[in-house]
Amino acid sequence: MAFPLLSLIVFMPAAGAAVLMFLRSDDAVRWTALGVTVLDLALCIAMLAGFDTTTHEMQFTETRPWVPALGITYALGIDGISALFVFLTALLGWICVLASWVAIDRKVKEFMVSLLAMQALMLGVFCALDLFLFYVFWEAMLIPMYVIIGVWGGDGRVYAAFKFFLYTLAGSLLFLIGVIVLYFHGGETFDILALTAQDLPFRVQSWLFFAFLIAFAVKVPMVPVHTWLPDAHVQAPTAGSIILAGVLLKMGAYGFLRFSLPMLPEASLYYSTLMLSLSALAIVYGGLLALGQDDLKKLVAYSSISHMGFVTLGIFTLNLRGLEGGILQMFNHGVTTGALFLFVGLIYERTHTRSIADYGGLMKAAPVYTAFLALFTLSSMALPGTNSFVGELLVLSGAFAANLAVGAAAVLGALLGAAYLLGMYRKVALGPASVGARFKIRDVNAREMVAILPLAAFVLWVGLYPKPFLDIIDASAKHLLAQVHGRGDGP
Amino acid sequence: MTDAALYQSILASLPEIVVVTGACILLILGQIVPKGPGHFLVWASAATVLVAALATLLLAGEVRPAHSGMFIVDRFAVFFKMVFYLSTILTFLLSRKYAEIEGIALSEYYVLLLFALSGMMIMASATDLLSVYVGLELMSLSTYVLTGFLRQQRRSNEASLKYVILGGVSTGIFLYGVSLVYGLTGTTQLDGMAAAVTGDPLDPGLLLAVVFIVAGLVFKVGAVPFHMWVPDVYEGAPTTITAFMSVAPKAAGFAVILRVFLNPLVAASDAWIIVAVIAVVTMALGSFVALVQDNFKRLLAYSSIAHAGFAMFGVVAGGADGIASVMLYLLIYTFMNLGIFGTVIMMRNGDFSGEVIEEYAGFAKSHPGLALLMLLYLFSLAGIPPTAGFFAKFYVLVALIERGFVILAVIAVLLSAVAAYFYIRIVMVIYMREPERAFEPALTPSVRATLALTAAGTIGIGLFPAWFLRLAQSSVFGG
Repeated sequence: MAFPLLSLIVFMPAAGAAVLMFLRSDDAVRWTALGVTVLDLALCIAMLAGFDTTTHEMQFTETRPWVPALGITYALGIDGISALFVFLTALLGWICVLASWVAIDRKVKEFMVSLLAMQALMLGVFCALDLFLFYVFWEAMLIPMYVIIGVWGGDGRVYAAFKFFLYTLAGSLLFLIGVIVLYFHGGETFDILALTAQDLPFRVQSWLFFAFLIAFAVKVPMVPVHTWLPDAHVQAPTAGSIILAGVLLKMGAYGFLRFSLPMLPEASLYYSTLMLSLSALAIVYGGLLALGQDDLKKLVAYSSISHMGFVTLGIFTLNLRGLEGGILQMFNHGVTTGALFLFVGLIYERTHTRSIADYGGLMKAAPVYTAFLALFTLSSMALPGTNSFVGELLVLSGAFAANLAVGAAAVLGALLGAAYLLGMYRKVALGPASVGARFKIRDVNAREMVAILPLAAFVLWVGLYPKPFLDIIDASAKHLLAQVHGRGDGP
Repeated sequence: MTDAALYQSILASLPEIVVVTGACILLILGQIVPKGPGHFLVWASAATVLVAALATLLLAGEVRPAHSGMFIVDRFAVFFKMVFYLSTILTFLLSRKYAEIEGIALSEYYVLLLFALSGMMIMASATDLLSVYVGLELMSLSTYVLTGFLRQQRRSNEASLKYVILGGVSTGIFLYGVSLVYGLTGTTQLDGMAAAVTGDPLDPGLLLAVVFIVAGLVFKVGAVPFHMWVPDVYEGAPTTITAFMSVAPKAAGFAVILRVFLNPLVAASDAWIIVAVIAVVTMALGSFVALVQDNFKRLLAYSSIAHAGFAMFGVVAGGADGIASVMLYLLIYTFMNLGIFGTVIMMRNGDFSGEVIEEYAGFAKSHPGLALLMLLYLFSLAGIPPTAGFFAKFYVLVALIERGFVILAVIAVLLSAVAAYFYIRIVMVIYMREPERAFEPALTPSVRATLALTAAGTIGIGLFPAWFLRLAQSSVFGG
């Protein structure tokens, strides 16, 4: 067996968390956490360097028996779809550590342990090739995330943590039933690739589709099961918000890509109109809600609902442009919204208010901050030249090909996005300098700059030269569509 | 009975003989040896259990029917006996300090636990309704007394009295069912009864008899509608005894239920509908009522009702996987439930009762390690991976869905989502509140050992379930 690179990537943060438990000083904890996450990112870059973009096959695979009596194996591997998210998770990992450097000042050790555990589990979700293993990673994430929101969150943290936990748990438990049903219909195996090759009767596919839909829709989140998200986002500490927006939300969409589409192709085709409508609803509804927010974090949270609507929209257009756009948009949303939450966190550390009404004229007080804020705001509204433009354009062109009405609704959502984002930026950065008088605002320091710059680089890189990213996705996306249409079109 | 048969019978029941003899000797020694070095009793009792465990393992190689068909040693019995040994030894370890604090460190305490153990062992090996009854009574009588061991406390006395009366009635009902079976079929052997029960058309008298027997057993596992004693008794009894009762006698009850009801003949009948209804109602009641509990012991009582309901789903599933899933569930439940009880028992120190959930506020701040352990047990009880509690539930669900009971599986997981709420509420109190007091847990080496062992079981079985799964699967009788 080859060098277990993926296991190393997945379990290094976990090992780091174990080491942290024995450290005493807070600074040692911070530096160790940073070191582990940076090392993990380096491994991910090495992984991408060795990644073969010409094939849709799983790469870097590892297989070991785990519970042979039930056909459970420990199997890891990545293809073009998961590679991008493994990288995204590792990229945001060390940024989360930096974002919590001074923001978390009590129980630093516990926080970093939770953060690293979270990272290990998230990486595991994207690498797992065994459904049981996937579920273990997927569900185990609830524990550290519950603690992160509940212990280090804002005033309403306990309520938010409970809501997050119970929503996700209820969704995932039905998914678990679906997994076990799939196990018995698919020849008593949890091997994802073997299950993908199964041809299930349509009735079974329909049931499973909805069982999976509930779990994934809660995570994405899609309207109407989105209500946990604003609470969780607003109450979570900055790093928690970055993880939630950057990675956790992607898992729902990843679930559609990895399970619903290839395993249940006929049902996916049959219900695609429903999914497109739900996505369009999320885009418009999320946008409208964002328009009415005064709290910065809530605004970004609702904009996430809208943006994730674009992702599911792209996926369920079930054509190549839409699908690739959706996947790319997942990555983009992770970078851009992660950055926006980071920015909200940075300013909140200084002023301890998130109300937009309290701000104004920030440009004078913190020019560098506002300049980068402008970049990420424009990226979030998909200005040409930024990453989201590429993704949204692909999604929209796919959407118009699939369903005219849904495409039109999505465009409306994009317009709404411009409205609330520009409105937010105007109120915060421009206008009379009301803030300068009330708060002493210092501009970004070197540590914060280190966290911001890579994200800014990716915004422009994907925006100006998206080819390397699309290349990674391409082969796997084509193969996925072939799976859906190849069997789905038949009688 | 020939000499050879007698020899075989004695050999087969050697572990039981060891435990009963040891208990009798300790009872006498406890009176002779002056009070003071009371600790020797703990070690002597634990040694007795270990010797019995050794004997059990040595005899585990083959199936040994004994005592004219009333008793059997098979892998199924051995598995359950191991669960009993484990829970008894852990109870001993937990009891040392606690019994001193509560002033109940008497020799009878340990002796009664040993008698209860021997009763449960007989239940696991019984193949005749009468030997079931002997084991059941031996176990019950010992636990009645142990429940009331806090003689100075009204709550304990009340619990004991309630338990005796309700337990007595349930045993009476059980015995009445047995007599009906004997009257109608002329046998009290489980095999004979199973053959008669599945005879078509079903004799209404026999049906009544079966219902009575079920009622008596369901009482022991604390399932609805015979659950009313559980919260009061669990709250009133010394916490160590509560911990013991929540795992071992429950497992013993399930051992008998499995033997009686998963006889292939019975399993083929429609008896599963009754069990399914009991399972759903039990789990629903346990989960919903636990939501509003403030007392830790009462909450764990309702939680144990809910878990009995979940394990009952494995009985509904039946078949080799169904039986194995119940067995694995009980083993894992032993680890995690004794773990959480261990932390509650440890908190009992000085004035601090450790019984009110709110009093744990901010415990994580001063004792991060212990709080992490509690978090582990609680998430395991809630069934969140990668803990063992998840795998236990997962396997029950697999067994259910294998038999096509998808709707039941959906009900089971939705109810366990409800149950998750009250477990994580405790986590919330521990982690997310500010401390209002200083905590001084009575962390003796034996409590440490218990916590270490239970934590290892809770996380170890969760990460590497393969060996334990194979153990449970190979211990299923007739499969």
